[in-house]
Amino acid sequence: MMKKRTTKWTLYIFVSIAFLVLVSIISLCTGSAGIPVGKIISILIDGKGTAEYSILLDIRLPRVILGFAIGGALSLAGVILQGMFRNPLVEPYTLGISGGAALGASLCIILRLNQIIPNVAMPLSGFLGAFLVILPVYLLNIKKGILRMHGLLLTGVMISFISSSLVILILAISRTEDLQGIIFWIMGSLEEPSWVLIWTACFVSLACLALSYLFCLDMNALTLGEEEAIHLGIDVEKKKKLLFLIASLLTGISVSITGLIGFVGLIVPHFMRMLVGYDHRVLLITSFLSGAGFLIFCDMLARTVIAPVELPVGVITGILGGTIFIYALSRRLFL
Amino acid sequence: MLRISDVTCGYGAKIVLNGINLEIGKGEFAGIIGPNGSGKTTLLKAVTRLIKPYKGKIYFEDKELYSIDHREIAQKIAVVSQNLPIISMTVREYVLLGRMPHYKNLQFFETESDVEVAEHAMTMTDIMKLQDSYMSEISGGEMQLALIARALTQEPWMLLLDEPTAHLDITHQVNILDLIRKLNKEYGLTVIIVLHDLNLASEYCDRLILMDRGQIKKTGTPEEVLNYSDIEEVYKTLVVVERNPLSQKPFVLIVPEEVKKKCRR
Amino acid sequence: MNKKKSLIFIVLIISIAVISTSSVICGTTFCHAGRQIRIISLSPVITEGLYLLGMENSIAGVTVYCQKPLRAKEKEKVGAVVEVDVEKIISLKPDVVFAMSLTSSKDIKKLKDMGINVIIFDIPKTFERLCEIFLELGKSTGKENEARYIINASKRKVSDIKKRMSALPKQNVFIQIGAKPLFAATNEFFVNDYIEFAGGINIFKEAKSGLISREEVLKRNPDVILIATMGISGEDERKTWHKYKMINAVKHNRIHIVDPDSICSPTPVSFAEYLEEITRIIQK
Repeated sequence: MMKKRTTKWTLYIFVSIAFLVLVSIISLCTGSAGIPVGKIISILIDGKGTAEYSILLDIRLPRVILGFAIGGALSLAGVILQGMFRNPLVEPYTLGISGGAALGASLCIILRLNQIIPNVAMPLSGFLGAFLVILPVYLLNIKKGILRMHGLLLTGVMISFISSSLVILILAISRTEDLQGIIFWIMGSLEEPSWVLIWTACFVSLACLALSYLFCLDMNALTLGEEEAIHLGIDVEKKKKLLFLIASLLTGISVSITGLIGFVGLIVPHFMRMLVGYDHRVLLITSFLSGAGFLIFCDMLARTVIAPVELPVGVITGILGGTIFIYALSRRLFL
Repeated sequence: MLRISDVTCGYGAKIVLNGINLEIGKGEFAGIIGPNGSGKTTLLKAVTRLIKPYKGKIYFEDKELYSIDHREIAQKIAVVSQNLPIISMTVREYVLLGRMPHYKNLQFFETESDVEVAEHAMTMTDIMKLQDSYMSEISGGEMQLALIARALTQEPWMLLLDEPTAHLDITHQVNILDLIRKLNKEYGLTVIIVLHDLNLASEYCDRLILMDRGQIKKTGTPEEVLNYSDIEEVYKTLVVVERNPLSQKPFVLIVPEEVKKKCRR
Repeated sequence: MNKKKSLIFIVLIISIAVISTSSVICGTTFCHAGRQIRIISLSPVITEGLYLLGMENSIAGVTVYCQKPLRAKEKEKVGAVVEVDVEKIISLKPDVVFAMSLTSSKDIKKLKDMGINVIIFDIPKTFERLCEIFLELGKSTGKENEARYIINASKRKVSDIKKRMSALPKQNVFIQIGAKPLFAATNEFFVNDYIEFAGGINIFKEAKSGLISREEVLKRNPDVILIATMGISGEDERKTWHKYKMINAVKHNRIHIVDPDSICSPTPVSFAEYLEEITRIIQK
C-alpha cells in the first residue's frame, strides 16, 4: 500500500520534470530567428560570438529560466492559498497583491523613477506597492491574534478594485509615452535584461518551495478545516500567518519582475489537484514543476504565434489554460 | 485529569457558559447531556481550545491548558466532532492523519508503526474493508466510524466525543459504545461524551453531567441524575423514568401527546 | 535525459562566464568597410524619414506599422512599436537600430547588452524638435547634407505659410483627438503646432490634461472643430457636435474630420504638406 503510493508519487514527479525539461528544450529551439534545430548543439559548442549563440543564450535562455522561476512561484502560491482558504477560486492575485504592484509600477513610470534608477526601480516599486497594499489587508483581518480567512479574502478583493481604479486614474491623466509603458507592464512579459533579477526570482522561488514543503503536512490537515487541524495538534494561527507570508512573497516577487501574468496560479493548482490528488507532499512539487513548464510553453507560443509581433504571455496562459481546464473538467464529469 | 475552573465563555457578545466548575478524573467515562443550546458543544470547544474563555481557567493534568504546546495536547486529547467532513481523500489517508501529532519535526512520511496503529484502529471500528474508498463515497454512519478511528489513531489519553452515534444504526451504536467502554475499562482511556440519547448515556456512562442554559444543573451517577423531575425541568417535556430490567440502569421514556391524553382519562 | 541535463548545465555555466566578462560583444563582427550599412527602424516616422533620405536599400527591418511609403510594407518585420522581437532583430545583424522612446526599455536594454548600437529619439512635440531629430537621423546615417537640404526646404515652406497666416484674423480651433472619453489636444501634442502655424488658436493649449468636458468646449466657443479620431467615431462625433447649435463652428458648418496618422507623426516634409491643408481648413 505504502509502496504503491510512493511509486505513484515518484512517477508523478518524474513526469513533471520530464515535461519541464521537454518544454524548456522546445522553447530554446523555437523563435523568430529561425535557427534550425539540428544546428543548435553545434552552435552551443563552438558558435561562441555568433549572433545565433547570443540569441540562444542571451535571449531565449533567460526567458526560460525566468519562466521556470515565475511559473513555479505563481503555481506554488496558488496551491498554498487554495489550501488555506479552502476556496477553489482563490489565486495569488485575489488578495490585492497584483493591484498594489500595478499601482507601484504605474507611479514609478509617471514619476520617472525608472529613469533615475534604471533596472531596479520598476521591480522595486512593484514590490513596494504590493507590500504596502498587502499590509493593510493583513492587519485589518487580525483580531486577537486570529487571522480571519473570510475577511482576508473580501478585503483583498476590495483593495484589488481600489488599486485598479487608481491605476486607471493614473492612465487617464498620464502622457502618451507613459501610457504605453504602464499598459504593457500590466500585460506581463518574461522579457528581462537584468540577470540579477532573474537569479533573485529563481532563488526566492526555490527557497519558498523548500520552505513551504516544511508545512506540507500542516496543509494536509488544513484541508479538513481549521477546527479539525487544531484537533490534530497544528498551531493553526502560526502556520496560517507563515503560509500567507510565503504566498505573498512569491506573488510579490513575480508581479514586480514580470508584471501581471494571470491564470497560472489558478489553473495549475486545480489541474494538478485533479491529477495527483490533494496530498501536499506531492502536490507542492508537481504544481511548481508543471507551472514552470506551463509558463515556459505559453511564453514560447506568445513569441511565435504571430511573430514578429509578440503577444502578452498572459493572453496565452488564459486562453490555453482555461480551455485545457474546461476540457479536463468536462471529461471528468462525463466519464 | 481535567479541571474546569469557573469558566465563562461564549461567541462574541453572546455568553453561553457561565461560571462552569467541573472536574473529570482519570479513567472516568463521563457523559454530558442537556437540551439543545445548553452549552454542551461550547464546553467541548472550550476544552479543545477552539474558544478561549473570557473568565476562568482550564487545567489539564494540573497544567494550564493554554500553556501546553499544541502538538502535546493533540497527543493526549483526541476529538471526534459532530460535523462530518467533506473531503476527497481515502478513508485510510484520513485515519492516518491521526498520527500527525506524533510525527517528529522533519518527518514527512508515516513510519511502519504509524501504519500499524492506524490499521489497528480501523479494525477496532470495523472499517478495514472501507480503507480504500473515498470519504465522499461512504455513508454517514461509516464516516462517523472513520472519525472515531482517526481519534483512536492519535493514541490519546482522553477522548472527547460530540454526538458520535448520531448517524449510526443500533448495531453500530452499540458496537462503538462497547468499544469505547472497553478502551475505557482496559486501557484507562478517559472519555467525555456528549449524547442526546439519554438511555445510551445511562447505560454506558459512569457519571452524567446535566447542563441547562449554560450552567451545570446536576452531576452524578445516572441513577442520581436521571430522575423525572430534573429531566422534566431541564428538557421541559413529560417523561417517565423506569428501570432497565437487564442492567438496572434508569431508562427514560418519552410520553407522546396521544398517550398523555389516554392516561389522563 | 541525463546527458541533455548536463549539457544544459554546462551551457549555463558557460553563458554565465560569457555574460559576466563581456559587456559588449563588439559590433565589429558586423561592420565591414565598404559594405552597405544595415538599419532597423522601430518607428513608422523613422522609416518614412529614412526613405526620404534615400536610405531605402539600407533598411533591413521595420515594424508592422511602417506603411508609409507603401513600399515599406515589403521590408522584413521585427515587431510592433512598443514591443519588438529582439531575437529577430539580432538575427538580422543590424549596424544600427533607431527607436523612439515609446519602445520598451527592456527590449532596448537587451539589444544594447548584446552589443547592438541603438539610437533613441524622444517623441517630438514641436516642429523645431522634429527637424532636430531628422537632422540627427541624417547625421547618424551619413546623410547630413541631404537632411539639411530637406529640413531647410520644409522650414522655408512653413515660415512662408506662417507669414501669410499672421496677417489674417486668428481662428479659435478645437482639436479633438479622442472620443469616449472626449480628449483634446493640448500643447503636449504635435498638432498644436499645426494649428498655431496655420494662424489658429488652440482653445485648450494650456489645459493640464486633455480629458475635457463638452461643456468646456461650449464655453470656449471654437470657430473651427477638427476631429482627428479614427474610423466611424469621427462621423459620430461630428453628428454629436451638430446638436450644439450655439457653437460658432456648428453655426458655420466648420467641423472637419482629419486623418490622425498624418496629423500625429509627420516628417518635416509631410508636416509642411499637411500644414498647407490645415491652413486651407482653418482659414476658409
